[in-house]
Amino acid sequence: MSSSAPKKAVDMQKYLKQSLETLFKNNRDWASSKRSTDPAFFDKLADGQAPNYLYIGCSDSRVPANEIMGLEAGEVFVHRNIANLVPNTDLSAMSVINYAVRHLHVKHIIVCGHYNCGGVKAALTPADLGLLNPWLRNIRDVYRLHEKELDQIADEGARYNRLIELNVIESCRNVIKTAAVQQSFQQHGYPIVHGLVFDLHDGLLKDLHVDFEKTLADIKKIYCLSPGSQSEEKE
Amino acid sequence: MNAARLAVQPGFVARAKLAQDVPSRRQSILPSFSQNTYAIPSAHRLSPFSTSSSLSCANHKPPALKPSTSQTDSDGSSIDKYTAGLRQNQEWAAQTAREHPDLFPTLATGQQPQILWLGCSDSRCPETSMMGLQPGDVFVHRNIANILHPGDLSSGAVIEYAVQHLRVKHVVVCGHTSCGGVAAAMGNKPLGILDPWLLPLRQVRERNLALLQSLSADEAALKLVELNVRESLNVVTQKSVVLNAIQERGLEVHGLIYDVASGVLRELDTQDSQDAIRARLVAFKTEN
Repeated sequence: MSSSAPKKAVDMQKYLKQSLETLFKNNRDWASSKRSTDPAFFDKLADGQAPNYLYIGCSDSRVPANEIMGLEAGEVFVHRNIANLVPNTDLSAMSVINYAVRHLHVKHIIVCGHYNCGGVKAALTPADLGLLNPWLRNIRDVYRLHEKELDQIADEGARYNRLIELNVIESCRNVIKTAAVQQSFQQHGYPIVHGLVFDLHDGLLKDLHVDFEKTLADIKKIYCLSPGSQSEEKE
Repeated sequence: MNAARLAVQPGFVARAKLAQDVPSRRQSILPSFSQNTYAIPSAHRLSPFSTSSSLSCANHKPPALKPSTSQTDSDGSSIDKYTAGLRQNQEWAAQTAREHPDLFPTLATGQQPQILWLGCSDSRCPETSMMGLQPGDVFVHRNIANILHPGDLSSGAVIEYAVQHLRVKHVVVCGHTSCGGVAAAMGNKPLGILDPWLLPLRQVRERNLALLQSLSADEAALKLVELNVRESLNVVTQKSVVLNAIQERGLEVHGLIYDVASGVLRELDTQDSQDAIRARLVAFKTEN
């Protein structure tokens, strides 16, 4: 995989330098066009952030959070990893949720997957992917949780798509399991957790209509971390 | 609201113009500018920023709202931001399809991003927008304060996948001014689960304590932002998969700082000495 030789080293260096420089040019254009439509745009951002949304999505380059939701800088707090997972022991995702809920007081948490997800595809493949194995095993666990439903889908593509949806729903569930979300919802009535899937074929978001309150009630039998409305905030 | 919002998205206009100039998506980052053009005015470099809001948010409690299951805004207004977001997506999809008829059909066949972006979750730092790029251009990992723990499986899996499998050409670590995580690490309040996450920042703070204490609060925070980017780059280049890609195919690793008060990115000088590079290869590079 890593054996193909680069073009002439000098050409490659020149190309890399130039392609990066274009980013800085794009960035200056973007900043000045923002400023020309709203002279105070960056001044407002410099004062701090108050996003309404936390977006947890896939690292995939084809699914840029702000663009697909038509949101500006300052409107959405973003965590992106391989296959939009929220593993229960992942300190990275747990820290993001904690900060977004307890310190930024986001009103909505959006877990967004996408069809054609390479991570989910890889998790369906019998291959040793080294470092990626333990991460992707979370997706195999989602399959095991929904084995009966998935095995009944004869068409391979339809089964793959359904696993992508179920993976989003399980991530939503893991978000709802956190103390931060349970306690904030009990105290303030937010955040609400949503599951979406982005379709690369047409650029549209599909709402999986995760029933937040029902899911919360369901998981509370086992995962309740908010006994009583006067509870202290604990991890 | 939607029409107005779309109308004031110059990013799209810039991209649309770009697309008329070049025939294909992959050429959207064509070279054109000389190296020194991305130096930003020194005023920006030293521009003071306030960490007060990010600090205060750690203590700030919003006014308690009546528990509500409806998806209304916090101030009780009737604008349902979530529904609005979904509606905006439909407009975005239609507009993008109009401006770039080949984009979605191409995206559905796979991704070949040239850039891996390791940045902060902060809402003010939308990587693809700020670089004027399109869907398909940037593979993205964003976490609290763009910290890379050496053993963190989440960022480790992202880097492995992007470098080894997608063969990106650039790895970018981007920090930003007014970072709430940095502000927290400059303070001494307990933050629960965030404390272990922020440990690497405190380690950097400890190693540079004298320097940081010699600066004003704003300057010290900005310095820690920079040192944190360098530390994350350090972790990136401790990974053998990255060292191999640098040696074998010229992968480049960059450190950037985004100024939220101006919207401008600047690149840090992160050139290592030959001795440092040799030591790094000896200590971290494993056999292919």
